[in-house]
Amino acid sequence: MAEHAGVEETLKRIESQKGVIGTIVVNTEGIPIRTTLDNSTTIQYAKLFRLLSMMARSTVRDIDPQNDLAFLRIRSKKHEIMVALENDFLLIVIQNPCE
Amino acid sequence: MSDVAKEERKKRSTLVLRPSSRTINISVSGIHGVHQSTRDTNSIIGCSSRRSFSLGGGSKVLVKSAFQTPRQVVRVFDEEDNDVTPQSLYQADPAAGQAKASRLFLDEISAGSASDQTAATGSFTMPFSRSILGSRISSQSTIESMNEEIEDTFSKRDLPINFPDVPGKRDTVKEHVTEDMLREVTDVYISETDSISLLDISSTLVSADADDAEATMERNNQYAELCRNRMGNDKYVDRSVQTLNGAAKSKQVQSDSIVMVDSATTVTTWDMYDTLISPERCEEVCSQEVGRADYPEAGEDTSRGAERSVSVGSMASTASAASSLKEVDAFGSSLNVESDLQLIMLSERFQHCLLVMERSILGNTFQPKLAAYRQLPVTEEADSVVEQREEDAESPRSPAVEHLWAFSCELSRGRSVSSMAWNKKNTDLLGVGYGESGSSKQKPGLVCCWSLKNPTWPERAIQCDSAVTSLDFSSNNPSQLAVGMQDGSIAIYNVKSQDSESCVLSSSECPNRHLDPVWQLRWTQQELSLTGEEKVESLISVAADGRISKWFICSSGLDCIDLMKLKKIQSTKKKAGGTKAESVLSALTPGLCFDFHPTDSSVYLVGTLEGLIHKCSCSNNQHFLETYRKHFCPVNRITWSPLSPDVFLSCSSDWTIQLWKQDHHLPMFGFSSTQTAVCDIKWSPKWATVFGAVNEEQLEIWDLNSSILDPIIVQSAAAGVTMESLLFAAQTDCVLVGDSDGHVTVYQLKNLSVGESSQVDILEDILRSAAPKQL
Repeated sequence: MAEHAGVEETLKRIESQKGVIGTIVVNTEGIPIRTTLDNSTTIQYAKLFRLLSMMARSTVRDIDPQNDLAFLRIRSKKHEIMVALENDFLLIVIQNPCE
Repeated sequence: MSDVAKEERKKRSTLVLRPSSRTINISVSGIHGVHQSTRDTNSIIGCSSRRSFSLGGGSKVLVKSAFQTPRQVVRVFDEEDNDVTPQSLYQADPAAGQAKASRLFLDEISAGSASDQTAATGSFTMPFSRSILGSRISSQSTIESMNEEIEDTFSKRDLPINFPDVPGKRDTVKEHVTEDMLREVTDVYISETDSISLLDISSTLVSADADDAEATMERNNQYAELCRNRMGNDKYVDRSVQTLNGAAKSKQVQSDSIVMVDSATTVTTWDMYDTLISPERCEEVCSQEVGRADYPEAGEDTSRGAERSVSVGSMASTASAASSLKEVDAFGSSLNVESDLQLIMLSERFQHCLLVMERSILGNTFQPKLAAYRQLPVTEEADSVVEQREEDAESPRSPAVEHLWAFSCELSRGRSVSSMAWNKKNTDLLGVGYGESGSSKQKPGLVCCWSLKNPTWPERAIQCDSAVTSLDFSSNNPSQLAVGMQDGSIAIYNVKSQDSESCVLSSSECPNRHLDPVWQLRWTQQELSLTGEEKVESLISVAADGRISKWFICSSGLDCIDLMKLKKIQSTKKKAGGTKAESVLSALTPGLCFDFHPTDSSVYLVGTLEGLIHKCSCSNNQHFLETYRKHFCPVNRITWSPLSPDVFLSCSSDWTIQLWKQDHHLPMFGFSSTQTAVCDIKWSPKWATVFGAVNEEQLEIWDLNSSILDPIIVQSAAAGVTMESLLFAAQTDCVLVGDSDGHVTVYQLKNLSVGESSQVDILEDILRSAAPKQL
């Protein structure tokens, strides 16, 4: 359980970093299981980024099947959205890197 | 019509169908549900039942016949009173019926079928085979004989009328066709059948000497003549005969509708690869594609609807990409959100993802600072103000330090930074030792390993039992960190593992351990005396109990041998008593710092509490090689110049910094700027004439090339904190300062107008110019 506390702590630290707008953890089936945003935004992000991640992962693996996608970052004009990909889940963080 | 038929007609109340007649009563066979109701089977039954009824009492026909509905015989006549009653198509094999000799009852529906055995002529239908108790009448005899029999039977009475039953509805046991049966190879042998003789009349041979031989010969001759005369003879005419083909009847058949399902998939390179490496997964993948219907996502439906359309290639990749998810694990089955979250959070990959994510976020936040640290050009925002740049270009550039960021977190707040060291292998990793904390809630000592990628939280935080006074990373085993503490114990930690209690070795059991604070630790690589090529790394420590010890690993932890004991050196003045009395108790003076020569690793300098600096050698543990006297207060730090040989700096609590050359007894230069004790001093790794010093109030950067009287850069400490330790960063222009509040601040040196490689010469020149001043 100590690990769990550590994980929880890290997650809280991330959520409270400067510029972070929201954090979403999505499970295998695309259902958001932990989020700091409101429901509609969460669902929208979860659905859209799941599709995009699949596409990106398919691209990477098509080139080399032994490779796999680890991290995806999209920098838009307003935000930066970072997606950490694993087989079991997606971790989506939206940050506003104000400089 | 024959008489019999007429008789029959009298005896039955038959239903006569005439073309004009409208009412048709077709009685159906009740019991056994024979569907050949179109046939005229009923006539027989009707006949028989009629017969049975007409038999009257005494008949052995049992009651069962009673529930037979009195059937009416259907007979059809056309306009000319021809009996065109359709014959039934089925002709049962009467021979088979004889097996049931013992039957007495009439309720054999086979009777109905049996009645199908009709004679060829269509005038009447008669049961022509029945078996009487005990006696059998062979069927299929000529009709005439049949008729005779019928006559007989009509006269005879109460004959149990039995009908041969047809092996009609034998319940065929359906054999289940198993897979194996389908697969088994059956051999089919095709062979020529025997010739079937249709007519075989063998010729009879008569001997020529027999009595009737002449008759036979006569007949033969007649036959031969007949054959001869046959051609062209009117008596014999060729005629052709045509066989009648029965009329075809079309029949409609209906079967179950065949369900057709469209199925499509997209094949991608990784899909094939996945299938190849894990054969058992392909079945699961197939079942996944079938069972996609229960996917609870609204968004999925639209994409899969697209898949079902004709164009397979376009959006179908989502479904196949989804199938690439290896949903074999436990997550896929449970829809329980809570348990999902728990499982995910406990998995290692999640923690790794969090780590990477945190670093990415911080990378975004600290991007300009880190870029400046790495000496990269700073990326500017598209809408940043352009005017600022013009301002900067105009102002004269003077040397300054720029505050980049500070390593600090809640754990370290309030503690004073006692020592800092870079990791030898990963130069982004910084180890910081903290002393006593202001609050007594936590353990007294703390060691944090910070990474440049995360300035807000240390990678490792190790609590120690006592305040940390010194630390150093090993070169041979880069993950080993040696920590010296205030109670004199030395511990070696392995920082590679996440486990914070990863103390590898401790000197707490060693009998020879230091009992006073370990002021400095160093891992040095020493050549073995014999071979001279191998470098063995050993840990050397100097402590307040006046010993310099070399530690090595033994079975029960660390053990040490003394390299040197710092004896107090008597002054050369003789005592008043005349005799040079040596005190019996040769007390040891605490050593505060030491430094090994950069090239000759057996020579080192030690600074003591008394202000003396001794030069020692590892091979001689009794005597000092040389002693440098200048300071009269504790020497806080000694450091050899990494670029210029034989030059070292020392700083002390007597507010001064001294620059020495190895073979001179007196310092070449002395620097002082403020009236506070100088805590730490370090040479710049890049420039031979630059060094930094930290006293309690400020950070000073000295450049001997520019000025030997004043530091060129002075950075004051923040209010309320005192600066305690200093570290230069290699490969970059940055300086790290640790203060008493637990912050390790990173400053970047800017605009130092120093040249590059000629530094050493410059230093030499400076020193040479100073040399004549020395005695």
